[in-house]
Amino acid sequence: MILKRTSAAIVVAVVFLGAAAALRYAQSLDLITPDATKRTIQIMVGLMLAGYANLMPKDVGRWPSSPVAAARTQSALRVGGWLITLAGIAHAGLWAFAPLGFANMASMAVVATATLITMAYGGWTLLSCRSRRRPA
Amino acid sequence: MFKALADPTRRQVLQLLRQGPKSAGELADHFPVSKPTMSAHFAVLREAGLVDSDKQGKTLMYRLKMSVLEEALMEFSGLLGLDLSQRREKSARPATLRKASTK
Repeated sequence: MILKRTSAAIVVAVVFLGAAAALRYAQSLDLITPDATKRTIQIMVGLMLAGYANLMPKDVGRWPSSPVAAARTQSALRVGGWLITLAGIAHAGLWAFAPLGFANMASMAVVATATLITMAYGGWTLLSCRSRRRPA
Repeated sequence: MFKALADPTRRQVLQLLRQGPKSAGELADHFPVSKPTMSAHFAVLREAGLVDSDKQGKTLMYRLKMSVLEEALMEFSGLLGLDLSQRREKSARPATLRKASTK
């Protein structure tokens, strides 16, 4: 399982780097503008983020010790998965259609907000499960 | 996976599991069908990799194991009313389900 995932991640990374190098080469030959290169790479980043976040709720891991912990873990994974997937799609969409200056700021803001909410919700979930485990 | 999402009962099971893990009995209580039929539905969902199960003592617990895309597809099929279970699925129903419903 780990080997499968690692090899898949390596393949994605190689494809990504290859595409970036090809775009740079095309830019050096004046086939595409630097803006088009930047936009294409950022769209790829957004789609890759969405692709990985899409699988986040499926990665359920071992069964937690209590039903409450299981419910909260599931909830945290779903919230994080949905938020980061949508942020990845928004990132790609902004770089595809918005003016460059706006896309730069807005895409970072969208992804950072989604990440922060995911981390805060995950942290709250972890703390609430721990505090429930402690004896009164 | 599409076959698993095509049936409204299975979609409802997945929607109930969104609230958190539930036992097979708790889930079966929501549907007016026999236990073997429910077991067959659970088996289809498990085979499709949409749910995860664990035996805790004598209770069989189920929890959701759906990607964002699978969940979105479930919502879409629900919204579009893709109720393929009544006629078309009869011919394509898994053997486990056919066997269970005839009992």
